[in-house]
Amino acid sequence: MNQHVTPWLGAYHDGELKGLRLRQVEAHLDRCAVCRAELEKLCALTMLLQESPAAETLTPPERFIAQVGLRLPRRPERTAWQRTLETGWRLIPVGLLGAWAFIQAVFFVSGVVLDALRMGLGGDVVAELLPPSGGSWLMQFSSLSGAGLNDVGRIMLRMLSNGGPVGWGVTLNVVSLVVIGLLYWSWLVSWWARRQHHNGNGKAI
Amino acid sequence: MSVKSAPSAKTELELITQAQQGDRQALGELVRRHREGVINVVYRMCGDASLAEDAAQEAFIRAWQHLPSYRPRSPFRNWVYRIASNVALDALRRERETVDIDTLPLSTSDEGPEAAVEGIERGERVRQAVLTLPPASRAVLVLREYEGLSYREIADTLSIPIGTVMSRLNYARNRLRETLAPYLEVV
Repeated sequence: MNQHVTPWLGAYHDGELKGLRLRQVEAHLDRCAVCRAELEKLCALTMLLQESPAAETLTPPERFIAQVGLRLPRRPERTAWQRTLETGWRLIPVGLLGAWAFIQAVFFVSGVVLDALRMGLGGDVVAELLPPSGGSWLMQFSSLSGAGLNDVGRIMLRMLSNGGPVGWGVTLNVVSLVVIGLLYWSWLVSWWARRQHHNGNGKAI
Repeated sequence: MSVKSAPSAKTELELITQAQQGDRQALGELVRRHREGVINVVYRMCGDASLAEDAAQEAFIRAWQHLPSYRPRSPFRNWVYRIASNVALDALRRERETVDIDTLPLSTSDEGPEAAVEGIERGERVRQAVLTLPPASRAVLVLREYEGLSYREIADTLSIPIGTVMSRLNYARNRLRETLAPYLEVV
């Protein structure tokens, strides 16, 4: 004798089984009197439950509707400005994505242009305007002024003028990504909070 | 001359959209359509007809308040049933001791006196047995047995997984089969 299909009888009775499981249960029921008896009890229970009378409504429908209408609180109407604000708020993720794409494009294009200019594609005049590859404008300024800097100061100044240990480009890129990420997560948290607040009843049973 | 369509001719989605924009008549039509189901859900949950009507009104008022955030991904009926279930549970918590079966009015019947009394008594015992179930299982049983919702709809309505729907339903049915064993033998 196969294992009984008792755990699935409820779902079978409710018409919720499909495919292979349905065929298995049907095949089992054909040859198992115990499970057939169980199924009959389930059917009997459903019939018994249906016998229990529905609520006798004391209030006629029209009066019920009127009573609901009288108890309805005023819902503050939203102005055009509030609706615009709401739409703008919903578009924040799109805006952040656009900002991220724009920043990436700017860094990419500026990198390509700078490399091209350094290779001399812009001519001598443009090459003179570019920052020197080995040093920096700040270092040149400090040497011109004649102010003596110790070694630590020089290293710090060099790092500062280069935009940190990894350079201005990467630093700005990382900072902008972090800012965009923080803004997005803040939006996500506020969206979740609003959703919880407006969830109709706020809790599951 | 423009002819405004009667509320009954409008689709539920149209009514919902209008009610979301503050149209109270549209809500009235939605109430008309779902009143009976909502009252029954609350009644089966708490077992008191007058309390059920009051709680059903409360459910529709909550629905009105939260309607702007309703998205018609799931049927309106399921959404409002969910609110009704929670309102019923809140009412039960407030009342604590909700049902004294002996004080409930007995409905009349066209059957013979003995059969009628027997039927009424059986109905009351069934209702009492349902009320002894834990609220979570009771809600699943009510939505399945009395409102005919599918497992998926119950899961969406109560925000629980389908597996939980099945286990709660099995639990409720097993409990009822034990409690109502004498009546099941003669059905």
